[in-house]
Amino acid sequence: MNRSVIRTLLARDLGMIRRSRALMLPMLFLPTLLLVILPAAIGLAARERSLDVDRFIEMLPGGLADPVLAHPPDERLIILVLGYMVAPLFLIVPLMVSSVLAADTFAGEKERKTLETLLHLPVSDRDLYVAKLLSTFIPSTAISWLGFTVFCIVSNIVCWPVMGRIFLPTGTWMIVILWLAPAVAALGLGVMVRVSIRVENTQEAQQLGGAVVLPFVVIAVGQTTGLLLAGPVVTMAVGSVVWLIAALLNIRGMQLYRRSSMAARL
Amino acid sequence: MTDAVLRCQGLTRHFPSGTALDGLTIDARPGEVVALLGPNGAGKTTTMRLLNGVLEPDAGTASVLGLDPWRQGDELRARTGVLTENAGLDERLTARENLAFVARLRGIPEARATPRIMELLDRFGMAHRADVRVQGFSTGQRKRVALARALLHEPELLFLDEPTSGLDPVATRDVVDLIGSLAQEQGRTVILCTHFLGEAGRLADRMAVLFSGHLHAFGTPTQLAGELWTGTEVRVELGRPPGADLLSRLGSIPGVVQAVPLEDGVLARVTTRESVPALVAACVAAGEQVFAAEPRQPSLEDVYFEIEARAKRGAAA
Repeated sequence: MNRSVIRTLLARDLGMIRRSRALMLPMLFLPTLLLVILPAAIGLAARERSLDVDRFIEMLPGGLADPVLAHPPDERLIILVLGYMVAPLFLIVPLMVSSVLAADTFAGEKERKTLETLLHLPVSDRDLYVAKLLSTFIPSTAISWLGFTVFCIVSNIVCWPVMGRIFLPTGTWMIVILWLAPAVAALGLGVMVRVSIRVENTQEAQQLGGAVVLPFVVIAVGQTTGLLLAGPVVTMAVGSVVWLIAALLNIRGMQLYRRSSMAARL
Repeated sequence: MTDAVLRCQGLTRHFPSGTALDGLTIDARPGEVVALLGPNGAGKTTTMRLLNGVLEPDAGTASVLGLDPWRQGDELRARTGVLTENAGLDERLTARENLAFVARLRGIPEARATPRIMELLDRFGMAHRADVRVQGFSTGQRKRVALARALLHEPELLFLDEPTSGLDPVATRDVVDLIGSLAQEQGRTVILCTHFLGEAGRLADRMAVLFSGHLHAFGTPTQLAGELWTGTEVRVELGRPPGADLLSRLGSIPGVVQAVPLEDGVLARVTTRESVPALVAACVAAGEQVFAAEPRQPSLEDVYFEIEARAKRGAAA
């Protein structure tokens, strides 16, 4: 593998993402909404002492209700929403960002008519594929981690009057963010880069990829709160399984990627 | 031929939509410009992609710069330069950034790449737009920048795919002049894909004429003309159409293969130029005034359209 070639391709792609409003806006909109506006709104709502969420919490399954009810009444809304229910959204962010970026990898090059130029350069198939994977994976993970940092800061500041302590991040949260979120990003791009190779333009890749990625989103939303309840060991194990699937998808994608098949589609 | 820069034999490539190239056998010598001539869909771009190791063939062999394009593709592409039909520049980057990006991918150290980029942009009249995004460039300006990019690493072999398509006449002339100088002054071998006969006529040492993926002719225009027709055409200017008697007498002169009437004289095909005095003498003897008798070499257009006509007749048969 030629690291200099990969670095050069990566630098161009990351620079282009930074310059492209069409890519940046959808990538930043959802994280801002979920990771900044939502915790701020919850924190402000929790300061309103007349708000009684206990009846709602009692309707939740015991596995979720019990740990929340263990906290003082005025902390329960914050713990329920920011501590547990927002968690699935943290997996949607890397999945969505990696999908948006991965759709642009090869399909975007075709659309901009720059792919043939790349194919005629002394860049090996593997280097090109790895560069495209990294140019998707790095921003997806960076946005997830940055978003989580902002989320923790906003949540702790806004909720300080109620909590009186720093309550985020917890250990399990850290595993979700540092271990599971990158795995989910890798899984998303493992699917989407292959879609991007097969279609003519980014829009087509996003449409087709959306259908492929949507089931993963549903699974993420459904299972993540449970993971936080299940604790760090189970979260680590689930993260490892997702990493394994993502690695298999990406390695297979790399093996199947051939310059000649790409050129035949030009 | 041992000194060929490029040699391919029986190169064949099929796509689901049909056969793009069928049994192509050509070669190119150092410093030679070889034109791949043919209409759209003839197989020119496919040939270029195959020879640069970007596409794999279904059959056939090739050696380019002594390398196997499909097993040693990266090694080969490090020594070739390509101008694709649509220039393939990243519109979001400036001209300089486009070249710098490719220079880094080609492993050219920055200290060498920076002056080389400016030298090439200057040579192609684009230095004043070096830091302008390509998005606002005309087709001609894009071609110039793309040509500069193809030459960054001083390639031994250049593949140029329709280098003048979409250009206005002035830009076309400039680009043709540039390509001509690359081959003549710098001794680079050029494979030129084009459907413009004027361009091929000015630049090409040899041409391969392709129709629907089949090679119909390969050689110098003179060689091809020699294969198509025997002898030389002579245009005899009489100032009026010839009579039937004169045509008949001209046709019976030894060495005259054919005599065709024109509005102002006769177009005769003779086996050797020694027949020309007899041709003129016969006209004078018939009471005609001979204003001029001009041997005429077939033009590239004549050769190309004759090959095309024969190809169509062959396909119909």
